[in-house]
Amino acid sequence: MRKKLILFWAFLKRQYVYFRRYLFNSLGGMLTLYVVFLLILGGYKGLVAPAGTEGDTLEALVVGYVLWFFLMTSYQDVYNTVRNESLTGTLEQLYMSTHGFGWVMGANVAAAFLANLVMVALLLTAALWTSGAVVNIDVGGLLPVLVGTLFGPVAIGFAAAGLALVFKRIDSYTQMVQFVLIALVAVPAEKAFWLRLLPGSFGASLVRDIMIRGQSLLEIGLAKLVLLFLIGIGHLALGYGVYKVCEKRAMVWGMLGHY
Amino acid sequence: MVRVESLEKTYPGRRGAPPVKAVDRVSFQVPQGQLVGLLGPNGAGKTTIVKMMCGLIRPDAGQIFINGKDMVCRRTEALVDVSAVLEGNRNIYWRLTCRENLEFFAALKGRSPREIQPEIARYLDLFKLNDKADTEARKLSRGMQQKLATAVALIAQSRVVLLDEPTLGLDVQASLEIRELLKRIVQDEGRTVILTSHDMNVVQDTCERVIIINEGRIVADDSIDHLLDLFQVKVCRIVIGESLTPAQQQAIQALPQVLLEEENNGKIALTVPLEDAQVLHELFGILAANSTVICAIEQKQTSFERVFLEILGRSEHGA
Repeated sequence: MRKKLILFWAFLKRQYVYFRRYLFNSLGGMLTLYVVFLLILGGYKGLVAPAGTEGDTLEALVVGYVLWFFLMTSYQDVYNTVRNESLTGTLEQLYMSTHGFGWVMGANVAAAFLANLVMVALLLTAALWTSGAVVNIDVGGLLPVLVGTLFGPVAIGFAAAGLALVFKRIDSYTQMVQFVLIALVAVPAEKAFWLRLLPGSFGASLVRDIMIRGQSLLEIGLAKLVLLFLIGIGHLALGYGVYKVCEKRAMVWGMLGHY
Repeated sequence: MVRVESLEKTYPGRRGAPPVKAVDRVSFQVPQGQLVGLLGPNGAGKTTIVKMMCGLIRPDAGQIFINGKDMVCRRTEALVDVSAVLEGNRNIYWRLTCRENLEFFAALKGRSPREIQPEIARYLDLFKLNDKADTEARKLSRGMQQKLATAVALIAQSRVVLLDEPTLGLDVQASLEIRELLKRIVQDEGRTVILTSHDMNVVQDTCERVIIINEGRIVADDSIDHLLDLFQVKVCRIVIGESLTPAQQQAIQALPQVLLEEENNGKIALTVPLEDAQVLHELFGILAANSTVICAIEQKQTSFERVFLEILGRSEHGA
């Protein structure tokens, strides 16, 4: 266990070093996301609010946007890691870790999750401050739900990364994932059971319950939380399974580290 | 100890191309503390063998044991004893400093960066990267990046270090530095180092043993000295500083084993095989008859390059 913590700490430190060393670029990324939010907010205020259908949709807009950002960064943390490490020549070194590649990626995702939480908090603060929306920020309730929600986009990331290992340049297809994630966040998962099975959708629905409808974790109930994790683990198994099949193919073809 | 047994690998043909047999029944053993060179022309199968030894390419058949651990079936366990530099200076993170790279890769091998600071300092010192310890790798010269990549492979403390073309693209001085470092590592730390190269000088200068690979097969596996001995053409070259008389020229031309060449500087070189003592005696007799002045007598050395080409030629001819 100690060795796994060492691994996690190494990835966390790397995240921090990159963020600090390329602070201008990191802040630029945040600024871009904030500007995009302002444009969406402007569109909302220009179209929805005058129609008199505002209700809790302003809060939904803020939460939806921040959730989308969270899901997208979680997806990118897996897909971009494999793609970029393959591109720069370090993927094979990650594969030579004595922890096993699964643990390496696990540590990477966990470290990135913490870094993403900080970014999400910053973006949420800025979005709330600009829009004037008020949401319920129950950290204790949100944290387990966010962890459960994380599995879906991570699974998509693994599947896409696996395909990139075999087919290499598939960026034009994987870019579509960010739009798919918008749809997954917006899905009204509470309306039909099968909608809960979509990656990230059930988690997004529970986050809305907490942040917009003000529910606590107790009100949501253990059953829903367990279901969220079961669905997430199922997605992860499926995504990682696709990755392992592709990885095996890449190893047979001798092109694991090529890009 | 590294043991490779009957390793085979064929890459499937893609887009209608025929399959490529990259490695064909390759077997060898490398004991602890030996520096071995895998030498072969481009596309011989060297990198495929090394990557299979790292568990990065799945062999079609055969086994690889690293200190008794099966790399194919028990990959994670076997990886404890192996580290590698496969893509030269691309094997490190260019946006991290030398120290950060060493710490990160140590953690990948399960070593706590905090506990190995003395080792990090020692490797920075050994590789003369002390004053660049906190410099980002992207700002280093290619030679320094290559040294850092090698240090990163060593910080794992694995007993077997695999290096794919460790001096590729380096200038003469950087190449020499890497070679000296590799020799020191084997001498001082007793590690097993297997390096691939298509540069004869690197292998001849660094390795005590060479495995020559051509078209996926081992065509020679021996010490460099023994290979040089085997292919040594024992030839004596006699340089004379004055012109020969027509009678002398005629007499020498009557000896078919002797090669007479006029050099640019006006001197004449006579090349004669040492194994034929009678011819040598006759030649000296011809020269002595006119008291011809001999400037130099030297034994011609066979270069390792020639040995390599001879072995490749024979293997292709045999095939």
